[in-house]
Amino acid sequence: MAMSCDRISELAPGFVLGALDADDMIEVQDHLSRCRQPHSEIVEMGGVVPYLAEALEPIEPPAWLRESVLSAARSDIDARRRAEEPVSLPVAARATITSLHEEPAPLVLLSAARRSRRRRAMGWASRVAAAAAIVVLGGYAVVLQGDLQKAKNAQSEDASLYYMWAQPDTLKAVLVASDGSGASGMAALRPTGHILVRLHGLAQTKGAEVYAVWINSGGTTPAKAGTLTVDDTGSGYLDVNNVPTTASLWVFVCREPNAGVTAPTGPIIVSGTISL
Amino acid sequence: MRQMAAGEVGGLETLYDRYHAMAYALALRITTETGLAEDVVQDSFLGVWRNAARYAEAKGSVRGWLLAIVRHRAIDAVRRQRNGVALGDESEEVLPAALTLPDIWPEVAGRLDAQQIRRALTYLPPAQREAIELAYFDGLTQREIADRTGAPLGTVKSRMRLGLGALREQIADPMPEPHSRKGLA
Repeated sequence: MAMSCDRISELAPGFVLGALDADDMIEVQDHLSRCRQPHSEIVEMGGVVPYLAEALEPIEPPAWLRESVLSAARSDIDARRRAEEPVSLPVAARATITSLHEEPAPLVLLSAARRSRRRRAMGWASRVAAAAAIVVLGGYAVVLQGDLQKAKNAQSEDASLYYMWAQPDTLKAVLVASDGSGASGMAALRPTGHILVRLHGLAQTKGAEVYAVWINSGGTTPAKAGTLTVDDTGSGYLDVNNVPTTASLWVFVCREPNAGVTAPTGPIIVSGTISL
Repeated sequence: MRQMAAGEVGGLETLYDRYHAMAYALALRITTETGLAEDVVQDSFLGVWRNAARYAEAKGSVRGWLLAIVRHRAIDAVRRQRNGVALGDESEEVLPAALTLPDIWPEVAGRLDAQQIRRALTYLPPAQREAIELAYFDGLTQREIADRTGAPLGTVKSRMRLGLGALREQIADPMPEPHSRKGLA
């Protein structure tokens, strides 16, 4: 333990306010994580810090910020659900395989007693027919559910873009096709480097192909903001941070052979100049 | 927080409705720019939302945790802007330990209103208050405060210690009237 407990007490005020030099901050944290002493001075002084914000009069932020926060949270949930949900095809396939056996019941939520009675009443042929119908309906429902989810995701993404677009200091670009393909899009860039890009009318990619969004801020090499994939309606969406922000930026989207490209190689699909 | 940890947006709505004005005031005080403050507030609430499960294991009030995130994020945003670095998505970022210390007087806070806390701050001698505010609102280190104010480093440390100690006493046992401030310096 490099620092003594006395030294920690000496550094406590600066530590709880985050006002020590980086080396001291790390050493204090390191000491506290290993020291068996309670170091009540840290807890007592640290307990004051949250109250310092009370010196300020509360200020109402713009009303749209609330919906923007909640919309982003809902997008999180959608993304989480998408990650957890099984894809529609395997579900349907699993149901089809099940239907070939004599246990179609797991596809419908019937109690054991009802299932038993039905089993006695229904012949083998009718059970297969019923199972087949369930498979079809089940598959259809899964497809509908998937479509609905996609629509919700797109709606949530569009809402985020429009909110950002509406903010007064957002840099904006309308992206138009360079090759007459009919593709188009919008890009909204915050002064903090947070960019949202929404594209429509994109051709489907093949294999590892992606669409990459490139930003040229006047340097010799454009910077890659990120890559996006296309859904079955020809739409794509990008939401990333750390994009350079200068007064004038040229944004363009290329179809690239893979997500790992570090410089644009494919044809420019859409482009536009970002400005206020 | 339990709602948020379970992925229910209703919990975030409640949190936002309760603390958005305080969070925005803090972000705006630190960044001094509305656009940057809005981004900081959004990222901070999303940070709480995405880390709600971690909060369940921690101590302290939700309010203290949220404001620590807002402050940390706002100071970071200002530093990045000053250095020409874009703001990153750090809503998943874990705060430094010093910024997530437990709020030790939740029961005291329950019977204090904002006016009383502001009054407690005004009781501090100006030099002590300045040292604390430069650290808290401007994110300056003790060394930077010494440079800015022209005071020796040891004096800055001493002002911080005395100021935090006096503030602690005031919050724990607030004086009812502004004129009864003897013995605080």
